[in-house]
Amino acid sequence: MAVRMRMEQAVARAVADATDAGDAYIRALAAIAAGVEWPLAAAWEPDHFDPDALRCVAVWAADEDGPRAFAEVTRATTLRRGEGLPGRVWQSGRATWIRDAATDDRLPRRDAAAAAGMHAAVCFPVRSDRGLVGLVEAFGPQARQPDADLLAALDVVGVQLGQVVERRRAEESQHRSEQRYRATLQAALDCVVTMDDRGRVIEFNPAAERTFGYRSEAAVGHDMADLIVPPELRERHRRGLARFLAGGAPRVLDRRFEIDAMRADGSIFPVELAITRIDVPGAPVFTGYLRDISERRWAEAELRASRARIVDAGDAARRRIERDLHDGAQQQLVSVAIGLRQARERLDEDPAAARELLDEAIEDLAQGLAELRELARGIHPAILMDGGLQPALHGLVRRSAVPAQLISVPADRLPQAVEVAAYFVVAEALTNVVRYASAAGLVEIDVVHRDGRLIVEVRDDADGGADPAGGGLRGLADRIAVLDGSLDVQSPAGGGTTIHAEIPCAS
Amino acid sequence: MAPSVLIVDDHDRFRVTVRRALERDGWIVAGEAVDGAGALRAARALQPDLVLLDVGLPDMSGLEVLRRLRDGMPQLVVVVVSTHESADYHEIAVANGARGFLAKSELTGAALDALLAG
Repeated sequence: MAVRMRMEQAVARAVADATDAGDAYIRALAAIAAGVEWPLAAAWEPDHFDPDALRCVAVWAADEDGPRAFAEVTRATTLRRGEGLPGRVWQSGRATWIRDAATDDRLPRRDAAAAAGMHAAVCFPVRSDRGLVGLVEAFGPQARQPDADLLAALDVVGVQLGQVVERRRAEESQHRSEQRYRATLQAALDCVVTMDDRGRVIEFNPAAERTFGYRSEAAVGHDMADLIVPPELRERHRRGLARFLAGGAPRVLDRRFEIDAMRADGSIFPVELAITRIDVPGAPVFTGYLRDISERRWAEAELRASRARIVDAGDAARRRIERDLHDGAQQQLVSVAIGLRQARERLDEDPAAARELLDEAIEDLAQGLAELRELARGIHPAILMDGGLQPALHGLVRRSAVPAQLISVPADRLPQAVEVAAYFVVAEALTNVVRYASAAGLVEIDVVHRDGRLIVEVRDDADGGADPAGGGLRGLADRIAVLDGSLDVQSPAGGGTTIHAEIPCAS
Repeated sequence: MAPSVLIVDDHDRFRVTVRRALERDGWIVAGEAVDGAGALRAARALQPDLVLLDVGLPDMSGLEVLRRLRDGMPQLVVVVVSTHESADYHEIAVANGARGFLAKSELTGAALDALLAG
């Protein structure tokens, strides 16, 4: 009886401050070993991944060679159900006493026990509500007959220890889960702000700190509306919260919508917001997930603007064509018509005059055809379609009003959209030199296909000062952006202009 | 005496073409104007026998110029010209006071004579 009481109390005292399950085992093992004045105690549990295998999860050994050596062997040993002392107790569910482990043929660790001076051995089950959750064994320095009192005491300790271990395990699991949750919030890219039913901030994650400009400590406990809701929207926010708390149907919960928010410095910016009510007992708690969509808005606006520009460019091109046709080729044909009519009127009485008129009409007609050809080339040069960049760029250089040199151009054909874009980069660049430069030496054109990109560069040594946002270049930039390429214009005043375009183009 | 004509058109090349053709056919080109305001000034100053008036002018519509010319100088003979279809413009030109309408490609001295005679 006394043994039992002492053992129970010793173990209870030992595990009272245990930090976790492993710690509880070690302290209990130390108390048990001290209680029976034995040099070694070990705890075993079924392996997590192989429930039919027993592993040693904790060992307490006296600071001597024999016990330490046996502790090493024990740690390294795996036992199956029915195997070895712990395995037998696991199978039978009853505490077991072995008089002399060093001579017991049934024990896998017999030889190690003999070498270490381990003789008497006892093993008892550790029990909880779930049943048998582990085993504890102890080894003594001399062979001994079974001690009934000790066995009974150890049985009780088994139940005591079982409860402690289970409780600690549950706490650990809860703690790890909370740690994971915290870590998730800390790492989240989106802002997570939690608010109580009075509208005060309960949590403010690091993303929210960065986005809004408040330290978490400065935000928690304060009215969320005052911190991050723009002034003109606060009343609506408070009314909504009041209405929900009074039993009204939720209007903003569980869906994403866009709204304005406010930073610490008072600046307003757009966010995408979703609010959920967290499932905790007691007064409602709301979590808001916010994402700064300023960049997305800017990208959408830019997309709309570039679309509008592209449509305008198309309209402008059509107007230009109409005007070129009307002012150019059509006028030529009118001249031809008048000349032919007048020739016909004079055919009988004045053939010489008629012949002269016909010659003039032929000349006008030739000019009209040349204008039409030029116009067609400006719309879409046939040679580019038929022969690719090489002949088309050579043609541009040949017809260029300013001296131009084609340094390099790929001989292979490329996707049509890429060839067209490259062609117009060169054409527009040459036009700009003609239009704006007062002193141009030589224009160099360099087109290379390399690393999955077509690189088009047009360099002149004229005055520089080109406006990258100017109409022709802007239209080019849009055309190249559609192909996911880039256009760069370097034009320092007085220093020549370089137009550099890169267009993705599979090799 | 050779009849005089005022050519009103904003297309340089057309004015050259018509001048050449009409002079060849015996007309005298009294002057040229490139817009409505210029046309009104030139008509008053030159008092031509005929005004050839293009429908599409930069500052005001040709029909507007036609009305003002006829209001200010009712005895002025105006023929409206255009590259557009005569079928579209003939009626409205005449309704606004023109003697007639000619497509530019048909504009010879003989065609003008025929229109003015008939």
